[in-house]
Amino acid sequence: MFRLDGKIALVTGCGTLGEGWGNGKAIAVALARQGASVFGSDLNLEAALETQRIITEEGGSCHVMVADATQAEDVKKLVDACIAQYGRIDILVNNVGRSEPGDPVSMSEETWDDQMDVNVKGAFLACKYVLPTMAAQGGGSVISISSVAAHRYIGKPQVGYAAGKAALEQLMKTTGVIYADRGVRLNSVAPGLMFTPLVKRLADKYAKGDFEGFVAHRHKQVPAGYMGESWDVAHAVVFLASDEARYITGQTIVVDGGIISATR
Amino acid sequence: MGHPAGRLAGKVAIVTGAGCVGPGWGNGRAIAVRFAQEGAQVFAVDKELAAMDETLALIKQAGGEVTPYACDVTDSAAIQKLVEVCLTRYGTVDILVNNVGGPSRGGPIELSEENWDKQIDINLKTVFLMCKYVMPVMEAKGAGSIVNISSTSGIRFTGAPQVGYAAAKAGVIQFGRVVGVEYAKKGIRINTVLPGQLHTPLVEATLAGAQSAGDSERLLKIRQARIPMPFMGDGRDTANAVLFLASDEARFITGTELIVDGGMSAKCD
Repeated sequence: MFRLDGKIALVTGCGTLGEGWGNGKAIAVALARQGASVFGSDLNLEAALETQRIITEEGGSCHVMVADATQAEDVKKLVDACIAQYGRIDILVNNVGRSEPGDPVSMSEETWDDQMDVNVKGAFLACKYVLPTMAAQGGGSVISISSVAAHRYIGKPQVGYAAGKAALEQLMKTTGVIYADRGVRLNSVAPGLMFTPLVKRLADKYAKGDFEGFVAHRHKQVPAGYMGESWDVAHAVVFLASDEARYITGQTIVVDGGIISATR
Repeated sequence: MGHPAGRLAGKVAIVTGAGCVGPGWGNGRAIAVRFAQEGAQVFAVDKELAAMDETLALIKQAGGEVTPYACDVTDSAAIQKLVEVCLTRYGTVDILVNNVGGPSRGGPIELSEENWDKQIDINLKTVFLMCKYVMPVMEAKGAGSIVNISSTSGIRFTGAPQVGYAAAKAGVIQFGRVVGVEYAKKGIRINTVLPGQLHTPLVEATLAGAQSAGDSERLLKIRQARIPMPFMGDGRDTANAVLFLASDEARFITGTELIVDGGMSAKCD
């Protein structure tokens, strides 16, 4: 039941910029390892192609295309292309997202709008075009990648990201109730502090490029004493995608080494 | 060992309340069987050995490994003995599932003080005591995973007054969060599964008597009306969630909850 053989998975943001394993890449590969065929999208074609290369080399099936998850026409094209290729969509993973620094005073209105687009509107658009297919098929599983920032202030001002991710989880929760009678489950995975290739860019954005110091600080913030990895996120996604989670909808799995259960 | 590639291969798991009040998939039975299917050596505990007959038969059918053990897990001395016997039998404990519990009807006025105490004891103190005596084993080896079974009654009013149960199950959730944070560095993870209104044998055995004058069909209809999904889950849904949290797939998940309720708690009307 944990296997995903025969299932078709659409994964947005499936590539990782540069070396290493970002969430989207790990999720796409983990789904493929469980037997799913993957249709991936990314803004960056090279990053998406690298994910495709890994899946194909391991004997899986993967197609990718460039798409901007915040643009309705791009998302519609992506969904159409996936259905043209595989004939159905069983799993949708909304993995696109990005944090920009700022509070209401320091953040520009443009950045706020961009944060809403990239962190929640992308998932809304993907649902808009994928849910009819899933409902017609008699079921499906949608998983959106949120963040513990949706639940707590986690040490740096990023109000657009925090509000956008909170909105994303509530989009999943309420849509989960609405689509329960059609067999479509919608859930979120909220990662905490993860040691992904993104951390380098975050260090530039939030710690003036002090990578070592930023990494050490992040490890220390986690009760477990270390950051998680993208595979930890991917495993939660695989569980929610699988039939083992057939009675779970409207929920969030927090993957954070205990960080939001503590105020220290 | 019939399942060397299972997701719990080589792990020793104590599951309390592994029996069942009737035929079908109760949570404890489903957890014990699912664990055995995935290669765990299951130390199955229930107050009555006879309650575990069907659980044992299902595990043997699946080619799994199980040791049944009778114990009242509200009894501190009996639990210490339980842990000793498990260590003698299997040498360690990797996973602990605290599944014992059950509701008693009544709000603050109707519920007697005696039954309040009993509710706290069976639903919350059992978790405390089992952790008290199992966690040192896990701490010594620097690894372990504990999954406690709470209920959506711990986070919502769910149709029937049962304040002792609701308060105790809320206690189980918070117990998991704080102990999870405290022991994160020591390699022990602790999480909570909240089943919703599943169709387990408990519905026919006791709930219908307490809530719908013994008419279990009527109670099932009332319960289904609260649930967005058009069917009732059962103990196997709880078991799959517990399996995920207990396994190494969830190695970075601690101090949190997983709700298995067909969307019930996501709505209020």
